[in-house]
Amino acid sequence: MHIVKQLMAIPGVIAAGEYAYRGDRFSFQGALTDEFARMASILCRANTLSVNMQSEIFDSFAENCGCRPVQGWIVHGANVTVCTVGNYFAFIENREELLNDVMTIMRAKVGDIHEDLLANLYAKLGGDTKEALY
Amino acid sequence: MNLEKMMELPGAMAAFTYTDKGELQSHVLREGTELTPQVLDLLARSCVANLAIASMEARGWEAVTGQGGFQPLKGFSVVGLEWSVVVNGNCGVIVKNRDADYEAAFNALQTV
Repeated sequence: MHIVKQLMAIPGVIAAGEYAYRGDRFSFQGALTDEFARMASILCRANTLSVNMQSEIFDSFAENCGCRPVQGWIVHGANVTVCTVGNYFAFIENREELLNDVMTIMRAKVGDIHEDLLANLYAKLGGDTKEALY
Repeated sequence: MNLEKMMELPGAMAAFTYTDKGELQSHVLREGTELTPQVLDLLARSCVANLAIASMEARGWEAVTGQGGFQPLKGFSVVGLEWSVVVNGNCGVIVKNRDADYEAAFNALQTV
C-alpha cells in the first residue's frame, strides 16, 4: 500500500503527502486545501534542507557521529504534530501512541535516506537529476 | 533540570540543558557514546535556532490558514541516521532511533 494511503487509514492522521522538486510539486490526501498543501510542501522542504545543512556542520565537528544524513524532523505543537521523513510529511493529532506509530511506519516505508537528498527531491523531474544538479 | 531522569528514557544517549542563546549549560553522556560535549554545544545552538524557526512557522501557519492547534509549541526533534535529538524549552535529550519513544521524550521535556 502506498505510504500516504497507509498513513491516512490511521485514525488521528489529519493529512499526509509527498513533495518533490522545490516543494511546489506535491501530492497529498486529507484535510488540507491544495494551496495549504503547497505551502506545507514548501515549508517541509525548506526545513528538511535546513536540518540537513546543520547535520553537515555537525559532521565536520565529529565525523560519522550518527546524525548524517538526516532522516526527518518533528514539530510537536499543542494539539497537532507535523512529522516528515524524507520527502513525505504528515499532520497528525496529538493522540497517545499515534506519533510513535506514524514515525515507525514512515521510517519503515520510506527506508533510510541516503546522502543524495537533493537528487531525491528533484527526482520527479525525470532524466539525470544528478547531472542537472551538479 | 533533572538530567538523570531524562537519561531513563528508552535509548537515551545524552541529556543536556542550554541557555536561551544556545550555550551548553549542563550535560550527561552515556558511557561509551561517541557524542562529545562539543557536539552537544553545537546541537544546542541548532536546537535554539530550530525551535525559533518552528515557532515562527507555527504562528504564520495559524495566521494564514486559520487552523489552530500548533501554538504553543511543545518541542522539536531532528531524526538523524542513528539517533534523534528531542528538545523543548532549554532542555534536550538524544535517543537511539531503534529505541526511540518520541512521545515519552516530548512528555518528559514538559515536566523537567
